Amino acid sequence: MIRLDNVTKSYAADSVAVRDASFEVEKGEFVFLVGPSGSGKSTLLRLLNREERPERGEVWVAGRNIVEMPPSRVPYLRRNIGNVFQDYKLLPNKTVFENVAFAQEVIGKPKHEIRQQVPTVLELVGLSGKEERFPHQLSGGEQQRVSVARAFVNRPLILLADEPTGNLDPATGEGIMRLLDRINRTGTTVLMATHDQRIVNTMRKRVIQLDRGVIVRDQARGVYD
Amino acid sequence: MWSRVAYTLRETWASSQRNVTLTVAAIITSAVSLLIFGLTLLIQHGFDNLLSKWEGGVEMIVFMQAGATDEQRSVVESALNQQRGVVVDSWRYCDVACSLAEAERLFAGDPVTLDLLTEANIPTQFKVVPAEGTTVQTLRALKADYQRGLPNVLSVELAEEQLDLIGRLQSFVGLYTTGMWISLMLAATLLIWNTIRTAMFARRREIEVMKLVGATDWFIRIPFMLEGLFQGVLGGLAACGALWFINGRWAAGVAEFPVDSGFAALVVTGNYLSVVMAIVLVFGAVVGTVGSGIAASRFLNI
Repeated sequence: MIRLDNVTKSYAADSVAVRDASFEVEKGEFVFLVGPSGSGKSTLLRLLNREERPERGEVWVAGRNIVEMPPSRVPYLRRNIGNVFQDYKLLPNKTVFENVAFAQEVIGKPKHEIRQQVPTVLELVGLSGKEERFPHQLSGGEQQRVSVARAFVNRPLILLADEPTGNLDPATGEGIMRLLDRINRTGTTVLMATHDQRIVNTMRKRVIQLDRGVIVRDQARGVYD
Repeated sequence: MWSRVAYTLRETWASSQRNVTLTVAAIITSAVSLLIFGLTLLIQHGFDNLLSKWEGGVEMIVFMQAGATDEQRSVVESALNQQRGVVVDSWRYCDVACSLAEAERLFAGDPVTLDLLTEANIPTQFKVVPAEGTTVQTLRALKADYQRGLPNVLSVELAEEQLDLIGRLQSFVGLYTTGMWISLMLAATLLIWNTIRTAMFARRREIEVMKLVGATDWFIRIPFMLEGLFQGVLGGLAACGALWFINGRWAAGVAEFPVDSGFAALVVTGNYLSVVMAIVLVFGAVVGTVGSGIAASRFLNI
């Protein structure tokens, strides 16, 4: 599903974010990217989404080298990738329903499909009955659930989560992890950047550890360190 | 398809409501620039009318020396009659009394010159109306012939000097109004550009999310471009209303001027006003689309 071959990305001549990274992720895998702040976890996720392009190496997503992909094709790549962020990135002037529907509206899904699919996914994330609320009327955990619902509503092949529990208390974070695990069980490949030791140690999934842009460990059913 | 159209229109409406002040400013600026553009077209058309009127009724005046004899006058009359139906349509002789009366009108504001003119020294005149289709070049040739070959002719004057004056006035007015509408059109384009840029900045979070969930650049751009287009078209409509009103008031005002004032030719009639209004609307749409299109492409990566 995902393959990186000797990928190097730097933002300045003296600052290499990712150095010569290579790994492969199979369809349906759940992978933690761990490491301290600035180790290159977020950059790796941005490379997979084609928000960034590497200086060297190849990034393969769903059988395509996305480094060479023309910009006009990038939106179609992203329709197969869901994104969850630490700060949720919800639209404050839209309701829960509208925030989730937005992801379908902008790719031209017909209204009747939106009306059918959004309640289903809101039920999946445990937000039934809160469709008409605005983000400021929700707790942090609920806002993150909306973010997960928006990322999952188009049934992406891959879900990228960048510190999704970073702003949440441990109990709420666990709820989000259960949700991501559930999504993973539907066959969606999940890559999650985190430095939450407890979650990584509890879940016992594959762990890729980065240190100053270099992959220093790739361990099946791993722990934080 | 329909959901996309509905989404686009909804977003366009929402966006223009978010920036009411800037939107109104952009519409007013484009309306003013388009109004001046339309007025330039109308004024130029009026001058064209005026010039064409003068061309048809151009007069040539043959001034005789004071004290010219009847025989010498007869020679001039014969020369003019020879050209009748060719270059000359008609002519009339303005004798001493007629010339003095005319001088009193022409020099009413210049009593010093008027005092110098007497029955003994005022030149009499042959006022010539050229035949239909006579060009200024032909009249110039005739003027040269008369000055060279006719006895006791003081001078021959053509109305072309006045034509030159109108031509120069037309160029002068044309230059400044054109300069103004081009500058204002540029200002309107920049204002629309800035309005769209501000709208995109205000919605940067939405744009970021749209890109992340796979919206195409065109899908993101189109509501902003439509917003600019509407601003330009609304400015154009306001300018059309103002043009219609001003032209109506001008036509009503000129109707009260003296018949021979020459201003009647500056009134634009017929379909030309409708043509100008259509051009103004198209220009408004172009200004709006160009301004917003550039902004929407340039600031998509905010």
